[in-house]
Amino acid sequence: MELVVSSLLKIAFLLTVILGLVPVLIWAERKGSAFIQDRTGPNRASVLGIRLGGLVHPIADVMKLLFKEDFRPENAHRFLYALAPFLVFFIALLTYAVIPFGDFIRIGGVEYQLVVADLNVGILYVLAIASLGTYGVVMGGWASNNKYAFLGAVRSTSQMISYEISMGLSIIGLMLIFSSLRLTDIVAGQGGAIWNWGFAMQPLGAILFIVAVFAETNRNPFDLPEGESELVSGYHLEYSSMKFALFFMAEYTNMVIGAALITTLFFGGWNIPWLTRSVIEGHAGTILPVHLVIQAVVMGLISLLFFRRAARERDKFGDARDREPGFMGVVTALMALGAAGSFALKPWAIGVDAASIYATLLQVGAFVGKVVFFCWVFIWVRWTLPRFRYDQLMGLGWKVMLPLALANVVLTAIWLAIV
Amino acid sequence: MVKVTIDGRELEFPEGTSLFDACREARGEALPHFCYHPDLSVAGVCRLCQVEVEGMPKLTIACNTGVREGMVVHTRNERVKTAARQILEMHLINHPVDCPICDQAGECGLQDQYMNHGLYESEVDKDDKVHKAKAEVIGPHVILDKERCVLCSRCVRFCDEVTGTGEMGIFNRGDRAEIGIAPGKELANNYSLNTVDICPVGALTSRDFRFKKRVWLLKSTASICPGCATGCNVRVDHEAGRIFRLKPRYNKEVNGRWMCDIGRMTYRGVHSEKRLDGPMLRGDGDLAPVSWSDLHTFLAERQVGLWISSPAQTLEEQALLAALGEQARTSGGVSTAGRGDGDDLLLHGDRTPNRTGLEWTDLQQHDPASLVALVRETSGAVVVHGGDPAETAPGFLAAVGGRALIFLGTHANATSKAATVVVPMSVWAEKDGLFVNKDGRVQAVRRAVARPEQAVEDWRFLVDLWSAAGCADAPAGLPALRRWLAERVPALNDLDLNALPAGGLAPATAPAGAGGDE
Amino acid sequence: MTATKKAHPYGGKMTFWERTYLPEVFRGMGITIKHVIHNLLHTSEMPTVQYPEEHRSYSPRFRGRHRLMQRDDGSPRCVACMMCSTACPADCIHIVAGEHPDPAIEKFPETFDIDLLRCVYCGLCEEACPCDAIRMDTGIYEIAGTTREEFFVSKEFLLNNKSDGTEV
Repeated sequence: MELVVSSLLKIAFLLTVILGLVPVLIWAERKGSAFIQDRTGPNRASVLGIRLGGLVHPIADVMKLLFKEDFRPENAHRFLYALAPFLVFFIALLTYAVIPFGDFIRIGGVEYQLVVADLNVGILYVLAIASLGTYGVVMGGWASNNKYAFLGAVRSTSQMISYEISMGLSIIGLMLIFSSLRLTDIVAGQGGAIWNWGFAMQPLGAILFIVAVFAETNRNPFDLPEGESELVSGYHLEYSSMKFALFFMAEYTNMVIGAALITTLFFGGWNIPWLTRSVIEGHAGTILPVHLVIQAVVMGLISLLFFRRAARERDKFGDARDREPGFMGVVTALMALGAAGSFALKPWAIGVDAASIYATLLQVGAFVGKVVFFCWVFIWVRWTLPRFRYDQLMGLGWKVMLPLALANVVLTAIWLAIV
Repeated sequence: MVKVTIDGRELEFPEGTSLFDACREARGEALPHFCYHPDLSVAGVCRLCQVEVEGMPKLTIACNTGVREGMVVHTRNERVKTAARQILEMHLINHPVDCPICDQAGECGLQDQYMNHGLYESEVDKDDKVHKAKAEVIGPHVILDKERCVLCSRCVRFCDEVTGTGEMGIFNRGDRAEIGIAPGKELANNYSLNTVDICPVGALTSRDFRFKKRVWLLKSTASICPGCATGCNVRVDHEAGRIFRLKPRYNKEVNGRWMCDIGRMTYRGVHSEKRLDGPMLRGDGDLAPVSWSDLHTFLAERQVGLWISSPAQTLEEQALLAALGEQARTSGGVSTAGRGDGDDLLLHGDRTPNRTGLEWTDLQQHDPASLVALVRETSGAVVVHGGDPAETAPGFLAAVGGRALIFLGTHANATSKAATVVVPMSVWAEKDGLFVNKDGRVQAVRRAVARPEQAVEDWRFLVDLWSAAGCADAPAGLPALRRWLAERVPALNDLDLNALPAGGLAPATAPAGAGGDE
Repeated sequence: MTATKKAHPYGGKMTFWERTYLPEVFRGMGITIKHVIHNLLHTSEMPTVQYPEEHRSYSPRFRGRHRLMQRDDGSPRCVACMMCSTACPADCIHIVAGEHPDPAIEKFPETFDIDLLRCVYCGLCEEACPCDAIRMDTGIYEIAGTTREEFFVSKEFLLNNKSDGTEV
């Protein structure tokens, strides 16, 4: 019973974070691409004049997608056409089950592991489920009865096959080093100094894995299944309304998975370099006050910037939008005050249990921060690199990555045998 | 014959040729001119056609000089050109240059001459010009702008020499000289609009055409005036499906360069509000719109006993109707209809364009009483193609009685109101056809504007009726129809009606003067 | 047969590091992140024109929506000579001329309609006008409507279509 409740709570936490990240990522994609291209990006949609720099736009998108006609082409396969987007989204969410987002949380003397399912074949599970995702794409592309959608599906399949191999091979070196397929073991093995992280021990494997993850998630420069310029929009060409939204959300969910996997396998997971659990718990009375002071000062400075802007641009638009800087200033000032006010709770005299929870929170924060950073890398790369040509994609997969991955396995094995 | 050297070319002309005509032939184009008109006497007032004749101390006007043996003439040298430019500048001294509001703009002699021979910078300020009366109504059809006049006196000569009415004259002298109407008179003769045609500038303009359209937007179609049996050759000026005016088209054999005002106004009937605009069938007492298929079903069920044509129809239509009526009785309509007063210039007392055609196609005309008698003799439906027998033959409707009266026509009239079936047809400007004038000259009308949406082309409808009646070789298409017509009408046997010259043809064997009753 | 040396399509052979792509990829990412950071710190310097609030300024020669000039008494300067509608390549000017009660003016436009949807804003009407009666100097380029009829503007509209953009 306790297992069920704790698992449900963990699932709820993960779903909230992931689904909450999707609109933020969409916003980051738009705003990031805009700033990369010297544009302003979205800044129009507002709720009572509050625009949050365009973060309100995903809400407008959801409203639009909800009310759009759910169109189905005349000769599409009824069942598969409807099933495909659900399958894609469902499989995208499944992978999270084995990813540890912290080591444990101690409540009432009981330690709860912060992973939904701590499988001993965790990595294999991840690879297996991730490759299932392509079934949804193929189904959607085929059931649409559209040649572009079908071509997108075919590309997706061949791309998946080509890069699945180097992806699997690129982690073998890591498995050899940590002698485990369990993700919690791999993360735990990366504790301590930053050179204990996977990318330091497996630089080639890390690069190969990151490239393969980009290909697996169909993100630029490997977004050939969508390929707007040649396939209109690829496998989801015929989809509209919420079915399209599911494909769209699945893409970003896959991105979050990719980022989480990169983080977990090669960038220490929830580990903070040098600040191990014992260090944090031992010095909580120092770290927490410093943390709170930094937060109060930073938020205070931000709120001052907002207030200055509110004073300068009092009548810039002549409508509700003029209230935005003032409102944001008040919100950030309250956050600063909250951080400062918590000194009333005497953070320098923090208890042992509380210190443990604080350590857990810092670790989860570190994990989420790393994931968000790698999500940004996905976006960053997309707006920097052009798309591969199809033959280049295949050449890279089979003629460069596969031999390199094999070499990496052999070299790691030899090195381990010698050391 | 006399030998003349013009611009270095030695040419021969018959004695008595005017130097103006000789120069036109030598140059390939006329000398600049305003007052010279081939159908009017020589006035020599505009001084624009001056040429240099060797041996004469001064330049001389070509229009008033006859050719002489051994004459050496220069029309293109610098002296002649300068003279033309300076004379033109003098003509334009007091011209208001109000081309934007002038209806003549686009077909104006001043504009043409200035562009061809002038192109100088004006030295007269706009405010120094002598102003005269503008927009003076001088007759039912003509409006006068005295400022624009160049005093060429063409209109005065026209009224004196052609109509002999003499309403116009030039009054005052010097820069106050102006064209005008003799006191107490107005320009009300039936040929007044010809003065507008011959006016080289915008002094005389048509009241009917005033501000309706700029002339450069008009398209022209050569056709024949349907106003009387004379069959004047006309140019139909139209744009976007609307006719704006009729202008005479030169035909030495018929109307020369003139036409009458009554004929010019015939275009108004084309856009009349009384045009029939859809097939109608009498249902429960009233005429109601009907589909074409229902109409043809109705017609197919009727046995026609009498076919009545009219002198307003084209020769093709009359011949087709005669062919259709071979098994029944036929008539050419009421012989007293369409009569009016004629004059000895162009207007004929027979105000229908094609009464001769009825004779050529063996359609007997009847006086009102005998037409009514003919209707009584026959049984079955009565077809009326054009004309208005209900109006012109009293008792016609009573004679038709309860039988079907099928009216193929263009305008609502007494017959259409009483008809069982009404089929909207095309007027002369909306179809191709042939008219035979009072002298037996075959001339073609051509389609200028589109028919009302629901109307049909008469000959096609008749051909369809003929095919429906069982004729296997009814002519399809206009060329075939004309070949068929040439075979059927003895007077036309040797003619190729598909290659009619612009001025029409008068068959040598034609029975002459068929339509006239003067 | 001797093997011909094949030239690289983009000129020259790629070096080893270029062939690994990675340094170039990182260089590209460096360029893009430089833009992001610069734009984050200098939001007000962005070239984007915030359109409904801001307007791009155009040269005074810009051809905007037409207007009809007035005489001193407020009547149209136009004499309905049809030069503009003749010159118009889009055939969008429709004038019906009428007889003016004043014989000094004589001709005036009873109706003067412009179909703004057909207009290509070429300015030939302006150039053709002998009376300087039609001008396109209003600077108005925001021409929007919800029905086609709104774009069919009349003489009265064009007479009150001021050059400073105000409509009366």
